[in-house]
Amino acid sequence: MALAQQVQLQREPGARNDIVRRVAGSPALQLVGRRLLTAIPVLLGVTFLTFVVMNLIPGNPAQLILGINASPGAIAKLDAQLGLNHPFWDRYWLWLDGLLHGNLGIAYSNQQSVNSDIAQFLPTTCWLLLYTLVVSLLLGIVVAVLAARRPNGIFDRISLAVSMLGLSVAPYALALVLIYVFSVRLGWFPTISNSLGDNPLTAIRALTLPAASIGFPLFAVYTRLLRADIVEQMQREDYIVTAKAKGVPPWRVLVVHATKNSLFTLITLVALNLGTLIGAVAIIEPIFSLPGIGAELINAININDLPLVEGIVVVFALVTVAGNLLADLMYTVLDPRIRYGRAAS
Amino acid sequence: MAAQLPDMTAATLTAGGQPPLPSLVSARALRWQKVSRALRLWVPAALLIALLFLCFVWPYIYSIPPGDSGSILDAALPPFSPGHWLGTDPNGVDIFSMLVYGGQVSFEISLAVTAFGMIVGGTIGLTAGYFGGWADSILSRVVDVLIAFPALVLVLAVAEVLQPSETHLIWALSVFSVPAFARVTRGATLTVRNLPFITASRLTGTSNWKIIFKHVLPNVIPGIVTFSLLGIGIIVILEGAVDFLGLGIQIPQPSWGAMIAKGQNVLTAEPQYVLIPSIVLLIFVMSLNLLGDALRERWGVR
Amino acid sequence: MSDALLEVEDLRVAFASGGREIRAVDGVSYQVEPGRTLAIIGESGSGKTVGCRAIMGLLPLGTAISGSARLHGTELIGLSDSQLRKHRGSDMAMVFQDPARSLNPTMRVGKQITEAIRTHRKVSKSDARDQAIELLRLVRIPAPERRFAEYPHQLSGGMRQRVVIAMALACRPKLLIADEATTALDVTTQAQIMELLLELQRDLGMALIFISHDLGLAASYADEVVVMYAGKVVEQAPAKRLFGAGGTVKMRYTRALLDAIPHLERAAHTELPVVTGRPPDPSMLPVGCSFAPRCLSAADDCAAKAPALTEHAPGHRWACWHPCENGGTA
Repeated sequence: MALAQQVQLQREPGARNDIVRRVAGSPALQLVGRRLLTAIPVLLGVTFLTFVVMNLIPGNPAQLILGINASPGAIAKLDAQLGLNHPFWDRYWLWLDGLLHGNLGIAYSNQQSVNSDIAQFLPTTCWLLLYTLVVSLLLGIVVAVLAARRPNGIFDRISLAVSMLGLSVAPYALALVLIYVFSVRLGWFPTISNSLGDNPLTAIRALTLPAASIGFPLFAVYTRLLRADIVEQMQREDYIVTAKAKGVPPWRVLVVHATKNSLFTLITLVALNLGTLIGAVAIIEPIFSLPGIGAELINAININDLPLVEGIVVVFALVTVAGNLLADLMYTVLDPRIRYGRAAS
Repeated sequence: MAAQLPDMTAATLTAGGQPPLPSLVSARALRWQKVSRALRLWVPAALLIALLFLCFVWPYIYSIPPGDSGSILDAALPPFSPGHWLGTDPNGVDIFSMLVYGGQVSFEISLAVTAFGMIVGGTIGLTAGYFGGWADSILSRVVDVLIAFPALVLVLAVAEVLQPSETHLIWALSVFSVPAFARVTRGATLTVRNLPFITASRLTGTSNWKIIFKHVLPNVIPGIVTFSLLGIGIIVILEGAVDFLGLGIQIPQPSWGAMIAKGQNVLTAEPQYVLIPSIVLLIFVMSLNLLGDALRERWGVR
Repeated sequence: MSDALLEVEDLRVAFASGGREIRAVDGVSYQVEPGRTLAIIGESGSGKTVGCRAIMGLLPLGTAISGSARLHGTELIGLSDSQLRKHRGSDMAMVFQDPARSLNPTMRVGKQITEAIRTHRKVSKSDARDQAIELLRLVRIPAPERRFAEYPHQLSGGMRQRVVIAMALACRPKLLIADEATTALDVTTQAQIMELLLELQRDLGMALIFISHDLGLAASYADEVVVMYAGKVVEQAPAKRLFGAGGTVKMRYTRALLDAIPHLERAAHTELPVVTGRPPDPSMLPVGCSFAPRCLSAADDCAAKAPALTEHAPGHRWACWHPCENGGTA
């Protein structure tokens, strides 16, 4: 508010000050602030739950890591090393403190910091996620708009059938089928890729089948719900009828009026499915031997490296929460009803 | 003059007056609408019943080879071999039997998880949605925390911690299904709760329990049921994923996910080991989704 | 006869739903001359809105439409959508019921008006803007330049409806259809909007059709009244003949509607003669008169055959076997 008053004092004409004044006092910013505040308990809860789950192990975690035949001396040593002989809350605070400073601990298996381990594998996963999200989103929007153009028409029926297939298929099964068809039989894509290669082309070749395995079900979800939303707008919303009554051509009604307003649904949709998207890497990356965090998580689980598993799970969860928050904020900012506040009526 | 309602059904057309105009919409279009609506409901329902029958009834009326062991002499038989109509795997285990017994486990787990989610999650969602206030704030935060984890990751973490077994798998999957149902139920409850007739009921002093059972629940249940059909599909795929990674149902007990995983090794030469269980899984989940869609249409759920 | 702006003849609209045929409009005919006001009165589901939307071509795909609707001699029924679009918004325009929902909430008000202009005329953006501001002034919105850049939720209900009217008038249509345009507004605003519509009609020489369930509005503002029930026209006459002193309402349904309006002059604590029951299911229309099940004067022949709409008196048509005596009640 102080900023707004300052601006008013100067009484400078011009659009820029108008915007500043509006933003500073706007309900949108207040909403944003409130959303951020509510996210904090969730974030705390997430870290707590992860810690609780990882420490639920019946019996001695150190023994689990070392195996049945480990000597009591070795177990005791690992206990001390991992700090397992301290009480639960102490350990949680220690871990949380490290977390807040960006330190996720030391992986047992290779004595490297979990941070560096994750940093090593993060880029591949990020590229995979980006590729998947962008392609499935774009395709989803295009197909949904085309299908909504003529509900129950031929294109619509085909798109509904295809998306039903996408909704029902298991990503890992799809991955293997894709490998068989496109890699083994047609040879268009490599079966496994130990790295993304040094140029964009090899990266795309390496990432396409994995992205398709995750992306196809995702595309199905997007296109189905977006199409339903657009069709409902077109059929039930009065402002659509008004636009048509003005003589506006159907394409413009569809794209400018209906789809623009359906974007809110899309944002919510992307946010809700973020968890599915991110989690899917854990199963798809190992199939293609991609060096990403998902594969690393499975690896860590198989060798019982608890600190590493813990670290990766927390990162997954925090990223999902952050993604949801971002979507929430975008929604708040984009809706003009919230941006400009509610006036008389 | 008292209103005498004339008997409309016995009315016949007499001369004079205006006859009703002929039908504008083709009778064929009307018939097709009715038929396709019925088909969309009963075809997936029939498929589901057939699958359930095959998994739970068939093995007891017609003996099939065991699903967890086989003779080396029968190794790697192709489909349509005598006695093994879908063939056998490289260890001689009958594939059809693996599908049947794996299916039993998948159904049991997914039904248990879904039922648990519906009951516990449904109650939580209903409470949060109807009573609002503190209950809603706290419950919603807890649900948010659970949903923040990508489903697979959470299940894997729990599976890692609790050694793999069917019961532990059910617990792990429930951690995902309970919040999901809670969210959906809460949303549906909120929609109904703010309707004028609920406010009217409360104003006349009807007890909360009565309102919930008589008014809120009947409106919320169709949405929950259709969601649960979708949910069973998701759980089966999720459970399959855990088996696929070797962290769920342990060999030698068969499961669809494990079958697909084992088939990965011989994908190049013998794709059927991956294709057969994948197709069965696809049919199962698709039937569930189609049935859910048809019911949603029938019951007018948004 | 041919100086009528809009001639509707035997209009029928039906669609299939849930395996049954829904007859929304079952043979409707009327006319409107330029500069005249026609009121179409009826209950919800009488087909009054569907009929007008059929003329404008605003019904969903898959709706069966037959009959004729001629605007200035041009036949509208049967035209393709792209041909109809040339008339929609330019020759004929429509204003809808709920102004809060008729406007796109994420588009500025001014842009929605300029869209109406630029769809039909090749005008530059700034010219369109000027025209839009002029239109806002025409519908008596204060500070039109400021309102131009605002969003719908920043305006009050009455102002929003004025904006919708401005959009409709953008290309100076010859026919304006107001579909329950004042139903969602409070009584004072309602009167203001109706006065505005009539003033604009006089200034622009438009024909005005307004659709409503409110007989009072028809009595106050219409030249000619058409009463619809269950998809058919049941009574049609100049407003003066039906309402006011010496009014001669003939059809029982219209009479029942009039009687159900509470009057100040009534004796206190007398029961209001409401019309019991509900309109017939449009997928199962009765063979005889559609109103017979609810009519207090129904006789056996009412259920057996449907009365045809005939001109029993000059300018006054009705469809009833046992019409009211002059000035009498049902």
